[in-house]
Amino acid sequence: MIVIRNASARRILRVILPFVLIPAIVALGIFAVESQYHALVSFFVAVCSLLLFFCGFEKKKIGNRRLVIVAVMIALSVAGRMFPVIKPVTAFAVISGMFLGSEAGFLVGSFSALISNFYFGHGPWTPFQMLAWGLIGFFAGVLASPLKKSRLFLYFYGILAAVLFSLLMDVWSAVWLAGEFIPSLYFAKLVTSLPHTVLYAVSNVIFLILFAKPFSEKLGRIKIKYGV
Amino acid sequence: MTHLNPFVLLCYFAAAAGISMFSMNPVIQTVSLAGALSFFFVRNAGKKTGMHLPIFLTALTVAVLNPLFQHNGATVLFVLNGNPVTKEACIYGAVAALMLLATLYWFRSFSELMTSDKILYLFGRISPKLALLLSMAMRYIPLFGLQLKKTTQAQKAMGYFKEDNMLDRIRGSIRVFSVTVTWALETGILTADSMEARGYGMGKRSAFAVFRFYRKDGLYLALIGILFSIAVYGIATEAVAFQYYPFILRHEQTLISILAYGAYGILAFLPTAAEAGEKIKWKYLQSKI
Repeated sequence: MIVIRNASARRILRVILPFVLIPAIVALGIFAVESQYHALVSFFVAVCSLLLFFCGFEKKKIGNRRLVIVAVMIALSVAGRMFPVIKPVTAFAVISGMFLGSEAGFLVGSFSALISNFYFGHGPWTPFQMLAWGLIGFFAGVLASPLKKSRLFLYFYGILAAVLFSLLMDVWSAVWLAGEFIPSLYFAKLVTSLPHTVLYAVSNVIFLILFAKPFSEKLGRIKIKYGV
Repeated sequence: MTHLNPFVLLCYFAAAAGISMFSMNPVIQTVSLAGALSFFFVRNAGKKTGMHLPIFLTALTVAVLNPLFQHNGATVLFVLNGNPVTKEACIYGAVAALMLLATLYWFRSFSELMTSDKILYLFGRISPKLALLLSMAMRYIPLFGLQLKKTTQAQKAMGYFKEDNMLDRIRGSIRVFSVTVTWALETGILTADSMEARGYGMGKRSAFAVFRFYRKDGLYLALIGILFSIAVYGIATEAVAFQYYPFILRHEQTLISILAYGAYGILAFLPTAAEAGEKIKWKYLQSKI
Protein backbone atom coordinates (compact mmCIF):
# COMPACT_ATOMS: atom_id res chain seq x y z
CA MET A 1 0.00 0.00 0.00
CA ILE A 2 1.88 3.04 -1.19
CA VAL A 3 0.84 6.06 0.73
CA ILE A 4 3.42 8.56 -0.41
CA ARG A 5 3.69 8.32 -4.17
CA ASN A 6 7.07 9.83 -4.93
CA ALA A 7 9.60 7.00 -4.50
CA SER A 8 12.67 9.14 -3.94
CA ALA A 9 10.89 11.33 -1.39
CA ARG A 10 9.88 8.17 0.41
CA ARG A 11 13.40 6.80 0.40
CA ILE A 12 14.89 10.04 1.68
CA LEU A 13 12.28 10.39 4.41
CA ARG A 14 12.80 6.80 5.51
CA VAL A 15 16.45 7.46 6.17
CA ILE A 16 16.23 11.02 7.42
CA LEU A 17 13.33 10.60 9.84
CA PRO A 18 14.62 7.83 12.13
CA PHE A 19 18.34 8.50 11.88
CA VAL A 20 18.54 12.28 11.67
CA LEU A 21 15.36 14.16 12.44
CA ILE A 22 13.97 12.31 15.46
CA PRO A 23 17.35 12.01 17.29
CA ALA A 24 18.01 15.67 16.50
CA ILE A 25 14.69 16.73 17.98
CA VAL A 26 15.27 14.60 21.07
CA ALA A 27 18.82 15.85 21.52
CA LEU A 28 17.60 19.41 21.10
CA GLY A 29 14.98 18.71 23.73
CA ILE A 30 17.52 17.35 26.19
CA PHE A 31 20.37 19.79 25.76
CA ALA A 32 19.20 22.98 24.15
CA VAL A 33 15.77 23.98 25.38
CA GLU A 34 14.38 24.23 28.87
CA SER A 35 12.19 21.53 30.30
CA GLN A 36 9.02 23.53 29.66
CA TYR A 37 9.35 22.72 25.95
CA HIS A 38 9.46 18.96 26.49
CA ALA A 39 5.81 18.74 25.47
CA LEU A 40 6.66 20.41 22.16
CA VAL A 41 9.49 17.90 21.65
CA SER A 42 7.28 14.89 22.32
CA PHE A 43 4.60 16.32 20.01
CA PHE A 44 7.00 16.62 17.08
CA VAL A 45 8.49 13.19 17.71
CA ALA A 46 4.98 11.70 17.58
CA VAL A 47 4.21 13.49 14.29
CA CYS A 48 7.54 12.35 12.79
CA SER A 49 6.93 8.75 13.80
CA LEU A 50 3.51 8.82 12.15
CA LEU A 51 5.13 10.14 9.00
CA LEU A 52 7.76 7.42 9.18
CA PHE A 53 5.09 4.74 9.27
CA PHE A 54 3.29 6.23 6.29
CA CYS A 55 6.60 6.31 4.37
CA GLY A 56 7.28 2.69 5.17
CA PHE A 57 4.19 1.36 3.44
CA GLU A 58 5.43 0.36 0.05
CA LYS A 59 7.14 -3.02 0.11
CA LYS A 60 4.33 -4.98 -1.47
CA LYS A 61 2.25 -3.70 -4.32
CA ILE A 62 -1.09 -4.92 -3.13
CA GLY A 63 -3.55 -3.06 -5.22
CA ASN A 64 -6.86 -1.43 -4.81
CA ARG A 65 -8.88 -4.27 -3.38
CA ARG A 66 -6.98 -4.35 -0.14
CA LEU A 67 -7.06 -0.56 0.07
CA VAL A 68 -10.84 -0.61 -0.14
CA ILE A 69 -11.09 -3.39 2.43
CA VAL A 70 -8.98 -1.25 4.77
CA ALA A 71 -11.33 1.67 4.15
CA VAL A 72 -14.29 -0.56 5.04
CA MET A 73 -12.61 -1.65 8.27
CA ILE A 74 -11.87 1.97 9.19
CA ALA A 75 -15.47 2.93 8.58
CA LEU A 76 -16.72 0.02 10.70
CA SER A 77 -14.49 0.95 13.59
CA VAL A 78 -15.43 4.65 13.42
CA ALA A 79 -19.10 3.73 13.29
CA GLY A 80 -18.46 1.46 16.27
CA ARG A 81 -17.04 4.33 18.29
CA MET A 82 -20.55 5.78 18.34
CA PHE A 83 -21.61 2.93 20.65
CA PRO A 84 -22.18 4.18 24.17
CA VAL A 85 -19.51 3.45 26.78
CA ILE A 86 -17.55 0.59 25.19
CA LYS A 87 -15.45 1.28 22.11
CA PRO A 88 -14.41 -1.34 19.56
CA VAL A 89 -11.64 0.66 17.82
CA THR A 90 -8.82 -1.40 19.34
CA ALA A 91 -10.58 -4.65 18.47
CA PHE A 92 -10.95 -3.58 14.84
CA ALA A 93 -7.31 -2.49 14.63
CA VAL A 94 -6.19 -5.83 16.10
CA ILE A 95 -8.42 -7.85 13.78
CA SER A 96 -7.24 -5.91 10.71
CA GLY A 97 -3.62 -6.35 11.77
CA MET A 98 -4.12 -10.07 12.32
CA PHE A 99 -5.87 -10.89 9.07
CA LEU A 100 -4.75 -8.17 6.64
CA GLY A 101 -1.19 -7.54 7.76
CA SER A 102 0.53 -5.03 10.00
CA GLU A 103 0.28 -2.15 7.53
CA ALA A 104 -3.47 -2.52 7.41
CA GLY A 105 -3.56 -2.70 11.19
CA PHE A 106 -1.60 0.53 11.50
CA LEU A 107 -3.78 2.32 8.95
CA VAL A 108 -7.04 1.16 10.54
CA GLY A 109 -5.91 2.17 14.03
CA SER A 110 -4.52 5.55 13.13
CA PHE A 111 -7.26 6.57 10.67
CA SER A 112 -10.03 5.51 13.03
CA ALA A 113 -8.55 7.92 15.56
CA LEU A 114 -8.27 10.69 12.97
CA ILE A 115 -11.77 10.32 11.53
CA SER A 116 -13.62 9.65 14.75
CA ASN A 117 -12.07 12.78 16.24
CA PHE A 118 -14.06 14.78 13.69
CA TYR A 119 -17.04 13.74 15.79
CA PHE A 120 -15.43 13.62 19.22
CA GLY A 121 -13.21 16.69 18.92
CA HIS A 122 -9.66 17.05 17.75
CA GLY A 123 -6.97 18.11 20.16
CA PRO A 124 -3.23 18.05 20.60
CA TRP A 125 -3.73 14.42 21.61
CA THR A 126 -4.80 13.40 18.09
CA PRO A 127 -1.27 12.44 16.87
CA PHE A 128 -0.68 10.44 20.04
CA GLN A 129 -3.97 8.62 19.68
CA MET A 130 -3.20 7.89 16.04
CA LEU A 131 0.23 6.57 16.97
CA ALA A 132 -1.02 4.50 19.91
CA TRP A 133 -3.87 2.84 18.04
CA GLY A 134 -1.74 2.45 14.95
CA LEU A 135 0.98 0.67 16.92
CA ILE A 136 -1.58 -1.64 18.52
CA GLY A 137 -2.75 -2.66 15.04
CA PHE A 138 0.80 -2.88 13.73
CA PHE A 139 2.01 -5.24 16.45
CA ALA A 140 -1.12 -7.34 16.06
CA GLY A 141 0.07 -7.85 12.48
CA VAL A 142 3.58 -8.72 13.61
CA LEU A 143 2.23 -11.24 16.14
CA ALA A 144 -0.41 -12.53 13.73
CA SER A 145 0.40 -16.23 13.86
CA PRO A 146 0.46 -16.69 17.68
CA LEU A 147 -2.63 -14.45 17.94
CA LYS A 148 -4.49 -16.64 15.47
CA LYS A 149 -3.36 -19.81 17.20
CA SER A 150 -4.28 -19.04 20.79
CA ARG A 151 -7.55 -17.38 21.79
CA LEU A 152 -6.22 -16.74 25.28
CA PHE A 153 -3.21 -14.87 23.91
CA LEU A 154 -5.55 -12.74 21.78
CA TYR A 155 -7.56 -11.67 24.83
CA PHE A 156 -4.34 -11.06 26.73
CA TYR A 157 -3.19 -8.85 23.85
CA GLY A 158 -6.46 -6.93 24.09
CA ILE A 159 -5.85 -6.21 27.78
CA LEU A 160 -2.20 -5.36 27.14
CA ALA A 161 -3.24 -2.97 24.37
CA ALA A 162 -5.55 -1.12 26.75
CA VAL A 163 -2.80 -0.78 29.35
CA LEU A 164 -0.21 0.37 26.81
CA PHE A 165 -2.68 2.85 25.34
CA SER A 166 -3.20 4.44 28.75
CA LEU A 167 0.52 4.43 29.51
CA LEU A 168 1.29 6.27 26.28
CA MET A 169 -1.58 8.77 26.44
CA ASP A 170 -0.81 9.64 30.06
CA VAL A 171 2.82 10.36 29.22
CA TRP A 172 1.54 13.04 26.90
CA SER A 173 -0.97 14.59 29.28
CA ALA A 174 1.48 14.52 32.19
CA VAL A 175 4.32 16.10 30.21
CA TRP A 176 2.15 18.66 28.49
CA LEU A 177 0.37 20.03 31.53
CA ALA A 178 3.20 19.91 34.06
CA GLY A 179 5.83 21.13 31.59
CA GLU A 180 8.21 18.35 32.58
CA PHE A 181 8.06 14.67 33.42
CA ILE A 182 7.33 14.19 37.13
CA PRO A 183 7.10 10.45 37.90
CA SER A 184 4.74 10.88 40.85
CA LEU A 185 2.37 13.06 38.81
CA TYR A 186 2.50 10.46 36.03
CA PHE A 187 1.51 7.71 38.46
CA ALA A 188 -1.28 9.90 39.80
CA LYS A 189 -2.55 10.32 36.22
CA LEU A 190 -2.36 6.56 35.74
CA VAL A 191 -4.37 6.01 38.91
CA THR A 192 -7.03 8.58 37.99
CA SER A 193 -7.35 7.07 34.53
CA LEU A 194 -7.56 3.55 35.95
CA PRO A 195 -11.35 3.31 35.48
CA HIS A 196 -10.90 4.23 31.80
CA THR A 197 -8.12 1.68 31.41
CA VAL A 198 -10.23 -1.06 32.94
CA LEU A 199 -13.16 -0.07 30.73
CA TYR A 200 -10.90 -0.17 27.67
CA ALA A 201 -9.54 -3.58 28.64
CA VAL A 202 -13.01 -4.98 29.24
CA SER A 203 -14.41 -3.58 26.00
CA ASN A 204 -11.40 -4.84 24.03
CA VAL A 205 -11.90 -8.35 25.36
CA ILE A 206 -15.66 -8.25 24.81
CA PHE A 207 -15.32 -7.08 21.22
CA LEU A 208 -12.52 -9.53 20.51
CA ILE A 209 -14.67 -12.37 21.84
CA LEU A 210 -17.59 -11.15 19.72
CA PHE A 211 -15.74 -10.24 16.53
CA ALA A 212 -12.63 -12.40 16.23
CA LYS A 213 -14.30 -15.53 14.89
CA PRO A 214 -16.91 -14.00 12.54
CA PHE A 215 -14.37 -11.57 11.10
CA SER A 216 -11.80 -14.28 10.55
CA GLU A 217 -14.46 -16.19 8.62
CA LYS A 218 -15.67 -13.20 6.64
CA LEU A 219 -12.22 -11.93 5.77
CA GLY A 220 -11.04 -15.46 5.00
CA ARG A 221 -13.98 -15.93 2.69
CA ILE A 222 -13.27 -12.65 0.91
CA LYS A 223 -9.63 -13.65 0.56
CA ILE A 224 -10.51 -17.01 -1.01
CA LYS A 225 -13.31 -15.68 -3.17
CA TYR A 226 -11.50 -12.68 -4.59
CA GLY A 227 -7.88 -13.50 -3.91
CA VAL A 228 -7.06 -10.28 -2.07
CA MET B 1 -13.25 32.86 8.52
CA THR B 2 -15.29 30.01 7.05
CA HIS B 3 -14.69 31.22 3.52
CA LEU B 4 -10.94 31.29 3.75
CA ASN B 5 -8.77 28.73 2.00
CA PRO B 6 -8.29 25.64 4.23
CA PHE B 7 -4.54 26.09 4.13
CA VAL B 8 -4.88 29.57 5.66
CA LEU B 9 -7.23 28.21 8.31
CA LEU B 10 -4.76 25.44 9.18
CA CYS B 11 -1.92 27.97 9.45
CA TYR B 12 -4.06 30.20 11.64
CA PHE B 13 -4.97 27.49 14.12
CA ALA B 14 -1.44 26.09 14.15
CA ALA B 15 -0.13 29.56 14.97
CA ALA B 16 -2.73 30.60 17.54
CA ALA B 17 -3.09 27.29 19.36
CA GLY B 18 0.57 26.36 18.90
CA ILE B 19 1.89 29.43 20.67
CA SER B 20 -0.65 28.97 23.41
CA MET B 21 0.10 25.26 23.80
CA PHE B 22 3.81 25.62 24.18
CA SER B 23 4.36 28.90 25.98
CA MET B 24 3.68 29.03 29.69
CA ASN B 25 3.41 32.80 29.92
CA PRO B 26 0.33 33.81 31.96
CA VAL B 27 -0.37 36.90 29.83
CA ILE B 28 -0.32 34.91 26.61
CA GLN B 29 -2.52 32.21 28.16
CA THR B 30 -5.10 34.75 29.32
CA VAL B 31 -5.18 36.49 25.94
CA SER B 32 -5.39 33.15 24.18
CA LEU B 33 -8.28 31.95 26.32
CA ALA B 34 -10.12 35.24 25.83
CA GLY B 35 -9.64 35.03 22.06
CA ALA B 36 -10.66 31.38 21.85
CA LEU B 37 -13.74 31.90 24.04
CA SER B 38 -14.90 35.01 22.22
CA PHE B 39 -14.54 33.31 18.85
CA PHE B 40 -16.41 30.27 20.09
CA PHE B 41 -19.26 32.38 21.46
CA VAL B 42 -19.48 34.63 18.43
CA ARG B 43 -20.01 31.50 16.35
CA ASN B 44 -22.22 29.48 18.72
CA ALA B 45 -23.96 32.02 20.92
CA GLY B 46 -26.19 30.08 23.32
CA LYS B 47 -25.71 26.77 21.50
CA LYS B 48 -23.78 23.69 22.62
CA THR B 49 -24.04 24.64 26.27
CA GLY B 50 -23.58 21.06 27.46
CA MET B 51 -19.93 20.90 26.58
CA HIS B 52 -18.56 23.61 28.86
CA LEU B 53 -18.86 21.87 32.20
CA PRO B 54 -16.63 18.81 31.48
CA ILE B 55 -13.98 21.08 29.98
CA PHE B 56 -13.91 23.28 33.06
CA LEU B 57 -13.83 20.26 35.37
CA THR B 58 -10.81 18.86 33.51
CA ALA B 59 -9.04 22.19 33.85
CA LEU B 60 -9.85 22.29 37.55
CA THR B 61 -8.29 18.85 38.08
CA VAL B 62 -5.12 20.07 36.41
CA ALA B 63 -4.98 23.13 38.63
CA VAL B 64 -5.39 20.98 41.75
CA LEU B 65 -3.15 18.06 40.75
CA ASN B 66 -0.06 20.12 39.94
CA PRO B 67 0.67 21.59 43.40
CA LEU B 68 -0.02 18.19 44.96
CA PHE B 69 2.69 16.48 42.95
CA GLN B 70 5.11 19.23 42.02
CA HIS B 71 7.14 20.15 45.09
CA ASN B 72 9.53 22.61 43.50
CA GLY B 73 9.24 26.23 44.53
CA ALA B 74 10.60 28.39 47.31
CA THR B 75 7.45 29.63 49.04
CA VAL B 76 5.90 26.82 51.06
CA LEU B 77 2.23 27.47 51.78
CA PHE B 78 1.55 24.40 53.96
CA VAL B 79 2.68 20.82 54.35
CA LEU B 80 0.40 17.98 53.30
CA ASN B 81 1.30 14.39 54.26
CA GLY B 82 4.92 15.41 54.68
CA ASN B 83 5.06 17.02 51.24
CA PRO B 84 5.32 20.78 50.84
CA VAL B 85 2.66 22.57 48.77
CA THR B 86 4.25 25.64 47.24
CA LYS B 87 2.84 28.89 45.94
CA GLU B 88 4.83 28.56 42.71
CA ALA B 89 3.36 25.15 41.94
CA CYS B 90 -0.15 26.50 42.59
CA ILE B 91 0.40 29.38 40.16
CA TYR B 92 1.89 27.04 37.59
CA GLY B 93 -1.13 24.75 37.93
CA ALA B 94 -3.50 27.67 37.41
CA VAL B 95 -1.65 28.78 34.27
CA ALA B 96 -1.58 25.19 32.99
CA ALA B 97 -5.34 25.02 33.52
CA LEU B 98 -5.74 28.25 31.52
CA MET B 99 -3.63 26.74 28.76
CA LEU B 100 -5.73 23.58 28.72
CA LEU B 101 -8.94 25.60 28.50
CA ALA B 102 -7.59 27.80 25.72
CA THR B 103 -6.32 24.83 23.71
CA LEU B 104 -9.56 22.92 24.08
CA TYR B 105 -11.62 25.87 22.87
CA TRP B 106 -9.26 26.52 19.95
CA PHE B 107 -9.57 22.91 18.92
CA ARG B 108 -13.37 23.01 19.24
CA SER B 109 -13.49 25.87 16.78
CA PHE B 110 -10.93 24.09 14.61
CA SER B 111 -13.10 20.98 14.44
CA GLU B 112 -16.10 23.12 13.54
CA LEU B 113 -14.38 25.08 10.78
CA MET B 114 -12.19 22.30 9.38
CA THR B 115 -14.80 20.03 7.95
CA SER B 116 -13.69 16.77 6.40
CA ASP B 117 -13.75 18.11 2.84
CA LYS B 118 -11.19 20.73 3.82
CA ILE B 119 -8.96 18.10 5.43
CA LEU B 120 -9.24 16.06 2.24
CA TYR B 121 -8.22 19.06 0.18
CA LEU B 122 -5.12 19.51 2.32
CA PHE B 123 -4.23 15.81 2.47
CA GLY B 124 -4.82 15.21 -1.21
CA ARG B 125 -1.93 17.44 -2.15
CA ILE B 126 0.52 15.49 0.00
CA SER B 127 -0.66 11.95 -0.53
CA PRO B 128 -3.49 11.10 -2.96
CA LYS B 129 -3.67 7.59 -1.57
CA LEU B 130 -4.22 8.75 2.01
CA ALA B 131 -6.87 11.16 0.81
CA LEU B 132 -8.60 8.39 -1.12
CA LEU B 133 -8.54 6.12 1.92
CA LEU B 134 -9.91 8.91 4.08
CA SER B 135 -12.71 9.86 1.70
CA MET B 136 -13.76 6.27 1.09
CA ALA B 137 -13.85 5.51 4.81
CA MET B 138 -15.95 8.60 5.43
CA ARG B 139 -18.32 7.69 2.62
CA TYR B 140 -18.83 4.21 4.04
CA ILE B 141 -19.93 5.45 7.46
CA PRO B 142 -23.34 6.84 6.41
CA LEU B 143 -23.66 4.05 3.85
CA PHE B 144 -23.47 1.46 6.65
CA GLY B 145 -26.18 3.23 8.60
CA LEU B 146 -28.44 3.12 5.57
CA GLN B 147 -27.74 -0.53 4.84
CA LEU B 148 -28.21 -1.43 8.50
CA LYS B 149 -31.68 0.12 8.34
CA LYS B 150 -32.51 -1.67 5.10
CA THR B 151 -31.40 -5.03 6.46
CA THR B 152 -33.41 -4.56 9.64
CA GLN B 153 -36.53 -3.71 7.62
CA ALA B 154 -36.01 -6.73 5.38
CA GLN B 155 -35.63 -8.99 8.41
CA LYS B 156 -38.76 -7.55 9.97
CA ALA B 157 -40.65 -8.19 6.77
CA MET B 158 -39.40 -11.78 6.90
CA GLY B 159 -40.97 -12.18 10.31
CA TYR B 160 -38.00 -11.80 12.61
CA PHE B 161 -38.11 -9.52 15.68
CA LYS B 162 -41.68 -10.64 16.33
CA GLU B 163 -41.28 -11.58 19.96
CA ASP B 164 -40.70 -8.85 22.44
CA ASN B 165 -37.86 -10.32 24.42
CA MET B 166 -34.34 -9.09 25.00
CA LEU B 167 -32.46 -12.20 23.85
CA ASP B 168 -34.29 -12.32 20.55
CA ARG B 169 -33.58 -8.69 19.88
CA ILE B 170 -29.87 -8.99 20.69
CA ARG B 171 -29.56 -12.06 18.49
CA GLY B 172 -31.42 -10.24 15.75
CA SER B 173 -29.15 -7.19 15.86
CA ILE B 174 -26.05 -9.38 15.81
CA ARG B 175 -27.42 -11.13 12.72
CA VAL B 176 -28.20 -7.79 11.06
CA PHE B 177 -24.71 -6.51 11.87
CA SER B 178 -23.11 -9.66 10.49
CA VAL B 179 -25.10 -9.39 7.26
CA THR B 180 -24.17 -5.74 6.88
CA VAL B 181 -20.46 -6.39 7.41
CA THR B 182 -20.46 -9.08 4.73
CA TRP B 183 -22.33 -6.73 2.43
CA ALA B 184 -19.80 -3.95 3.17
CA LEU B 185 -16.80 -6.14 2.37
CA GLU B 186 -18.37 -7.38 -0.88
CA THR B 187 -19.34 -3.86 -1.90
CA GLY B 188 -15.80 -2.77 -1.16
CA ILE B 189 -14.44 -5.36 -3.57
CA LEU B 190 -16.97 -4.28 -6.19
CA THR B 191 -15.88 -0.67 -5.74
CA ALA B 192 -12.25 -1.66 -6.12
CA ASP B 193 -12.96 -3.63 -9.29
CA SER B 194 -14.99 -0.79 -10.70
CA MET B 195 -12.18 1.64 -9.95
CA GLU B 196 -9.66 -0.61 -11.63
CA ALA B 197 -11.86 -1.07 -14.67
CA ARG B 198 -12.01 2.70 -15.10
CA GLY B 199 -8.25 2.93 -14.96
CA TYR B 200 -7.54 3.91 -11.39
CA GLY B 201 -3.81 3.85 -10.73
CA MET B 202 -2.82 4.15 -14.39
CA GLY B 203 -1.54 7.66 -14.37
CA LYS B 204 -1.14 10.74 -12.27
CA ARG B 205 -4.20 11.67 -10.24
CA SER B 206 -5.72 15.07 -10.46
CA ALA B 207 -7.77 16.32 -7.56
CA PHE B 208 -10.87 18.45 -7.80
CA ALA B 209 -11.22 21.14 -5.20
CA VAL B 210 -13.79 23.84 -4.70
CA PHE B 211 -11.30 25.94 -2.81
CA ARG B 212 -9.27 28.58 -4.53
CA PHE B 213 -6.60 30.85 -3.25
CA TYR B 214 -7.93 34.40 -3.46
CA ARG B 215 -6.15 37.64 -2.76
CA LYS B 216 -7.96 37.83 0.58
CA ASP B 217 -6.38 34.49 1.54
CA GLY B 218 -2.96 35.84 0.67
CA LEU B 219 -3.52 38.92 2.81
CA TYR B 220 -4.67 36.85 5.77
CA LEU B 221 -1.74 34.47 5.36
CA ALA B 222 0.74 37.34 5.30
CA LEU B 223 -0.85 38.93 8.36
CA ILE B 224 -0.82 35.63 10.27
CA GLY B 225 2.80 35.03 9.25
CA ILE B 226 3.95 38.46 10.42
CA LEU B 227 2.12 38.31 13.76
CA PHE B 228 3.30 34.75 14.38
CA SER B 229 6.92 35.66 13.65
CA ILE B 230 6.83 38.62 16.02
CA ALA B 231 5.34 36.51 18.82
CA VAL B 232 7.80 33.65 18.25
CA TYR B 233 10.68 36.11 18.15
CA GLY B 234 9.54 37.40 21.53
CA ILE B 235 9.45 33.86 22.90
CA ALA B 236 12.76 32.81 21.36
CA THR B 237 14.64 35.84 22.72
CA GLU B 238 13.06 35.18 26.13
CA ALA B 239 11.55 38.65 26.21
CA VAL B 240 8.26 37.11 27.33
CA ALA B 241 9.87 34.34 29.39
CA PHE B 242 8.36 33.67 32.79
CA GLN B 243 10.14 31.70 35.44
CA TYR B 244 8.13 29.59 37.90
CA TYR B 245 10.68 27.52 39.78
CA PRO B 246 12.27 27.97 42.24
CA PHE B 247 10.57 31.37 42.53
CA ILE B 248 8.38 33.50 40.32
CA LEU B 249 10.47 35.80 38.18
CA ARG B 250 9.07 38.11 35.54
CA HIS B 251 11.41 39.50 32.98
CA GLU B 252 11.29 43.25 32.59
CA GLN B 253 8.90 44.70 30.05
CA THR B 254 10.85 45.65 26.98
CA LEU B 255 9.79 46.93 23.60
CA ILE B 256 10.09 43.39 22.22
CA SER B 257 7.92 41.87 24.90
CA ILE B 258 5.18 44.49 24.42
CA LEU B 259 5.35 43.92 20.67
CA ALA B 260 5.10 40.16 21.18
CA TYR B 261 2.09 40.46 23.48
CA GLY B 262 0.45 42.90 21.07
CA ALA B 263 1.08 40.65 18.08
CA TYR B 264 -0.34 37.63 19.85
CA GLY B 265 -3.32 39.68 21.04
CA ILE B 266 -4.16 40.69 17.47
CA LEU B 267 -3.64 37.10 16.32
CA ALA B 268 -5.95 35.72 19.01
CA PHE B 269 -8.78 38.15 18.27
CA LEU B 270 -8.43 38.09 14.48
CA PRO B 271 -11.16 35.46 13.88
CA THR B 272 -13.56 37.11 16.33
CA ALA B 273 -13.13 40.43 14.53
CA ALA B 274 -13.57 38.82 11.12
CA GLU B 275 -16.68 36.93 12.23
CA ALA B 276 -18.19 39.95 13.97
CA GLY B 277 -17.47 42.09 10.92
CA GLU B 278 -19.30 39.62 8.70
CA LYS B 279 -22.27 39.55 11.07
CA ILE B 280 -22.48 43.34 11.10
CA LYS B 281 -22.31 43.42 7.32
CA TRP B 282 -25.07 40.82 7.14
CA LYS B 283 -27.31 42.79 9.50
CA TYR B 284 -26.58 46.00 7.60
CA LEU B 285 -27.47 44.43 4.24
CA GLN B 286 -30.62 42.94 5.73
CA SER B 287 -31.68 46.29 7.10
CA LYS B 288 -31.51 47.76 3.61
CA ILE B 289 -33.96 45.25 2.16
